[in-house]
Amino acid sequence: MRKNIILVLALCFLLSPVAFAYKNAGENSPPFELPNLITSAGQSADVQMASVLAKRAGLNATLKKTATAEDLENIKTLTLVFGASLKGLGAAGIDVDQEKERVRELVSEAKKRDIPLLCLHLGGEARRGQLTDQLITEFLPFAQMAIIVKSGNHDGFFSKICEENNISLVEVEKTVDVLTPLKDAFK
Amino acid sequence: MKEKIKKHHLIALCLLCLTGTLCWLTGVQFLSMRKTDTFYPSPGLSAQTKLSDYFPQLADSPGDTAVYCFRGEEEGGNLLILGGTHPNEPAGFITAVLLLENITVSRGKIFIIPQANLSGFTHDDPFEGNPQKFSLETPGGRRWFRFGSRLTNPTHQWPDPTLFTNAAGQALSGAEVRNLNRSYPGKEKGHLTEQIAFGIMELIKKEEIDLSLDLHEAAPEYPVVNAIVFHENSAELAAIASMELQMEDIDIRMEASPPSLRGLSHREWGDHTPSMAILLETANASHGRLKGKPSEALIVEGKDPNYVKASKLGMLFVPYSKDGIPIKERVARHLAAVNALVSGLRELNPDQAIDIGNFPPAQTVNEQGIGLYLHPPK
Repeated sequence: MRKNIILVLALCFLLSPVAFAYKNAGENSPPFELPNLITSAGQSADVQMASVLAKRAGLNATLKKTATAEDLENIKTLTLVFGASLKGLGAAGIDVDQEKERVRELVSEAKKRDIPLLCLHLGGEARRGQLTDQLITEFLPFAQMAIIVKSGNHDGFFSKICEENNISLVEVEKTVDVLTPLKDAFK
Repeated sequence: MKEKIKKHHLIALCLLCLTGTLCWLTGVQFLSMRKTDTFYPSPGLSAQTKLSDYFPQLADSPGDTAVYCFRGEEEGGNLLILGGTHPNEPAGFITAVLLLENITVSRGKIFIIPQANLSGFTHDDPFEGNPQKFSLETPGGRRWFRFGSRLTNPTHQWPDPTLFTNAAGQALSGAEVRNLNRSYPGKEKGHLTEQIAFGIMELIKKEEIDLSLDLHEAAPEYPVVNAIVFHENSAELAAIASMELQMEDIDIRMEASPPSLRGLSHREWGDHTPSMAILLETANASHGRLKGKPSEALIVEGKDPNYVKASKLGMLFVPYSKDGIPIKERVARHLAAVNALVSGLRELNPDQAIDIGNFPPAQTVNEQGIGLYLHPPK
């Protein structure tokens, strides 16, 4: 009996690193799965760059600039690209309020379906502004992760929201540098 | 009494001579704008044709302009580069000249039209006070180029209507009837400017152009500047190119072509042909409303204290220091963008790859000047 107990304890001791390793692997594993739906929040052309980056990263992604809740069928990750452009909104034939409402419904539906949200801000400081900031303030808190071009966080705007909402924030120097963290974010 | 009459005759004769001399001098100056610019195509040139080869109605008209064709031995993509749509935006025109005087093509085809609106080069805008010409120093001497008007010469197309209704039925101000970049897709039996636009559309269709580029400049206070304006059919290509340019530390903004903005190249080329359509803009102070005295130096060196002040006040959409934005920098920017777009085209569609030799390197042009890559004057 004593021998058995010692054997079990020894086994537990030996296997514990393996168990911990599995646990850590779970913690560090990429949070996002494919297929991925990429959409804009603000209709800037930056969403197009996100699509190219996803393609270069070999990710199965669908780009739909004005995606709605219906587009979430069979989707496992929603990627929101922040960047407001009045020209872009005009080109899409919608106004600011309609865009906000569209994103609101989309994010809400994603939450209902347990689809995680990945947020990107690729335009740096030049793509900040009142309208973009409003969109970030409203929708970034729902994200699991944000990947941004560093200059867009010159005033700590993203850091503050991410800290308050326990969101993983990755900063890169240039848009093209988003490729690696984006690739790493997916299983 | 008799003497007095004699004196009057003499004064009248003098005034007549003076008026005649002034008319002759200004006439000579006015007509000097009709003297054509000379280009020196690279040995890689396959053929020099005319726009009228694609639309015969333009033959012998002031709108018939030269088309330089570079054909590679291998099949590949077909590229059209347009400079001089607006002859008062010289970086686009000079970029096209620089390319046609240097490049060779081993794969694919490149068509270059350096003076898309040739009529616009034959006059300038009277109230702008712009110089008629500007020069660039080459190792073999100074070369002069015309600095024309945004619009077709009114002696070639007159009168302007009160309102110009474009092909899409949108009403624009009357003078826009002479703006090539409001006249697409053009009209076979329209005004001269519409016929030029029609001819360019015919070229794009007949040569099965895969990518069409329209090189422009804009005022630093204009929001669409240092930008790639793209038709939705070329959005992915524009994104690839803008990222490549960022890697070269060239900031460029992406601007989608609004579907409602009709008559422009980046809209109508993409809507009416299978070609990917892109317009490029650089920042030119001589083009702006805030500029001081117009001069050749302003065109070439791009320095203007008014714009330095405007920059400090946050009124501009590009950085602007006392060093200005010289034409060599603007041309370098266009060259880098053309290169990035060609490389993006290869990434997107390997069948449409275009191999270009002797492409003037943007960085060298920016650092050492345009003249290094211009043929010396004969």
